[in-house]
Amino acid sequence: MSKGTITRRELLAGGMTLGAASLLAACVGTTQGGSGGGGGGASSGLVTLQNSIQDADPKAALEALVKAYPGGDVTLNSVATEQFRAQLTNYLRSGDSPEVLSWYAGSVARSYAEEGLLLDVSSLWEGDGPCAGFSDALRSLSSDASGNQIFVPTSYYWWSVFYKKSAFEKWGVEPPTSWDEFHALCENLSGQGIVPLTNGLSSTPWMASGWFDYLDLRINGAQYHRELLAGEHAFNDPEVVAVMEEYKRLIPYFDKNAASYTAQDAATPVAQDTSAMYLVGAFVSGYFPEDQRDDLDFFSVPVINDSVPTAEEAPTDGFFAAARSDNHQGALDLLSYLASAESQQQYIEQSKSSNLPTSPDVDTSAFSPLVQKGIELLNSTEEITQFFNRDSSDALQATADTALTKFLAQPDSMTSILDEWQRAAEGVFAS
Amino acid sequence: MSRRLARVPLLVWVFLAVPFVVEAFWVFWPAANSFSLALTRWDGIGLAEPVGLQNFRDLAADPIFLTALRNNVVWVLGFGGLSVVGGLVLAVTLNKPGPLVSLYRSAIYLPMVVSLAVSGLFWRVMYAPDGPVNGALGVLGLEHLERQWLADPAVALWAVLIAAVWRQVGYIMVLYLAGLKGTDGTLEEAAAVDGANAWQRFWRIVMPQLRGVNMVVFAVTVIDSLRTFDIVWAMTRGGPYNETQLLSTYMFQQAFTTGNLGYASAIAVVIFALAIGFIITYLARQARTED
Repeated sequence: MSKGTITRRELLAGGMTLGAASLLAACVGTTQGGSGGGGGGASSGLVTLQNSIQDADPKAALEALVKAYPGGDVTLNSVATEQFRAQLTNYLRSGDSPEVLSWYAGSVARSYAEEGLLLDVSSLWEGDGPCAGFSDALRSLSSDASGNQIFVPTSYYWWSVFYKKSAFEKWGVEPPTSWDEFHALCENLSGQGIVPLTNGLSSTPWMASGWFDYLDLRINGAQYHRELLAGEHAFNDPEVVAVMEEYKRLIPYFDKNAASYTAQDAATPVAQDTSAMYLVGAFVSGYFPEDQRDDLDFFSVPVINDSVPTAEEAPTDGFFAAARSDNHQGALDLLSYLASAESQQQYIEQSKSSNLPTSPDVDTSAFSPLVQKGIELLNSTEEITQFFNRDSSDALQATADTALTKFLAQPDSMTSILDEWQRAAEGVFAS
Repeated sequence: MSRRLARVPLLVWVFLAVPFVVEAFWVFWPAANSFSLALTRWDGIGLAEPVGLQNFRDLAADPIFLTALRNNVVWVLGFGGLSVVGGLVLAVTLNKPGPLVSLYRSAIYLPMVVSLAVSGLFWRVMYAPDGPVNGALGVLGLEHLERQWLADPAVALWAVLIAAVWRQVGYIMVLYLAGLKGTDGTLEEAAAVDGANAWQRFWRIVMPQLRGVNMVVFAVTVIDSLRTFDIVWAMTRGGPYNETQLLSTYMFQQAFTTGNLGYASAIAVVIFALAIGFIITYLARQARTED
C-alpha cells in the first residue's frame, strides 16, 4: 500500500503529470521498472522490503544494510510489529505485494507457503548459494511440506536466565548448576530483600510462556513439548500438571508488579539491582543501558529431569519473498545479499541485540563474550525449539496467554484453568 | 415531487453520484461483506468455508465473548452515564460569565485533542505501580487503596473507563454548551419570578429545550461507547486474562491476532445489531413523545 504512494511520489518527482500519476495509481501492479527516484544502474528494478523489526538499534542496522545494497533501489517500509502481524496476510495476497518481508521461520511461514503465497527460494540453498552452508536444523526449519525452502533465516537468538555479574558479586551469590541450587538461590535472594525473578506480562502476556516452555522442556522434554503444541496431548494431562506445579513453586519469587510491567519495563529492576534474574530472549541486552551491557551474563535453566535431552529455545528470524510480487529476481538478489556472511556480520554488530548469525562463515571472534557464550550454548544443546507461538500458532499463543497469566494471578484455580485452556486449544485446533 | 426532482440539473446528480459511488465502494460494500463473512469460517489466507450460523452458536458458548458482552454493557452505562452527567454539569457550571471561564472550558476540552491511543499511554503511566496515582494515595495516607490498577481484574475495566470519560467529558460539555446558548433566558427569568427554584428551573425549563442536543449526545455516546477500541487496546489489550475485553477488542484480536476472520465478523454483526437496536429504540421513543 505504502509502496503505491512512494512510487507515485517518485514518479511525480520525475516530472510526470498529475494525471498520469493518478492513472498509474488506479491500476495495480504497474511499478515494475519504474525506478524514477534516482540511484541509477539498478540491475533488478525496484524492490520493496517490508520490515517488522521495531527495536531502535536493530532497525537502524537494517536501514544501514539496505542503504549499502549494491543491487539497486530498495524501498524500506518499517511497520510496527503488531500492525505488521495484522496486515501480513494482506501484504502477501495483494496483487502488488512487497518483494521481500521480514518475519519468523517455522509454522507461520509454512502456513503461508501452503497457500502458495511464498516464493520458492531453494536456489539460494543450493550450490554456492548464500544459504547452502547453513545447518540442517535451519534448512528443515525453512522448508515447506514438500521440502522446498521458502524462508531465508538471517539471525537467531537464545533464551536464558539473564543476570548482572556485578550484582551477583555484590550479593555474594553464584549462578546455580542444579534445580535445587536455583531454588536455594531464590530463597537466599529473597532473604536479602531482593526480588529473585522479574517478568513483564501486561501488554506482553506471551512472556509468561517463557517459563512454561522451559519447564516443559526440562520436565517432559522437547519431543513432548512439540507434540503438546501440535495438539497431540491435552493441556490438562498429568504431564502438564507437573509443569504447572513446578511453575507454582516459582510464583513467590516473581516481582509482584510483573503483571503491570511490559517485557521492556521488567528489565528496569534488574538494571537497578532490585531484582536479580530474568528469563528472556537475548534481545533483552538492548533494554539495558549501554554501560551495563558488558555486565550481563546468563545461565541456562538448570536440569530438572535428567532423563530428557537438553533443549534450548532459539527463535529464528529472517526474510521471505512474496510469490505475487512483480520482481522475483530482485527479491532473490536482495535475499542473497541479506543472507551473506558479510551482511549478517554487519547487522549483528550494529544491532547490538546479541543476535547469532545463521551463516557458519561469519567471523564471530569479534563478537561480545555474551554472544560467544550464546553460540556455545546452542551448539552444545541436544534439542532446539523456537518459542510457544512459533512452534504452534498465534491463535494457540492467545489461549496460553489467557491461561498462564490467570494461573499466575490465581494459582489455586490451576485445575479449572487447565481445563479451560484445553477447551480453548481444542477450539483452535478445530478451526 | 417528480417535477421538482426533474428540475435538479444533471451536474448536481453527477456531483452526488461521485460521493455515493465512493461511499458504496468503501463503506457499504465492505459492510455487506462482513455480514456474509460472518456466516463463514475464514483464516484470511485460504478460501472462506460457509458454516451457516455456527459462528453465532459458538459465540453463545464462548466465555470470553460473554465477558466482553458484559463489559460492554458496563461500558455503555458507565462511559455513557458518567460522560453525559459530567459533561452536562460542567456545561451548566461554565455557561455563565466569570473569571477564567474560557480557560476552564479549553482545559477541559483539551484531552479531546489528543488521540485515544496517546491518552491510553498517558494513563498507563498514571496507573503504573510506582506511578502518580499510587503515589498520591501514598501521600494521602491511603496506602491500603494502592493497587495495580491495570493488572487487577476487579478494577482494571473501571480504571480504563475513567481514562475514557476524562477525555469524552469535554466533548459532551461542548455539545451541551452549544445547546445552552440556544435556550431562551427569558423563560428561565419568568419561571424565577413565578417562584421556581434552581432545580425546577433547570429540570422543567432548560432540559426540555435541550431535547435536540440530547438526541445528538445520546447517539454520539452510544456509538462512541460501542466502538471504543483504541484506549482499551493501548492500556490493557483486553487483559489481564481477557477481563477488560470489549466486543471491539475481542473482534480485533480474533480477526488480526488469531486470524479467525469469519468469527470476528460475527462479533462485528453483534456490535452492529446492538448499535442499531439502541438507536432505533431511542429514535422511536423520541418520535412518540413528539407526536
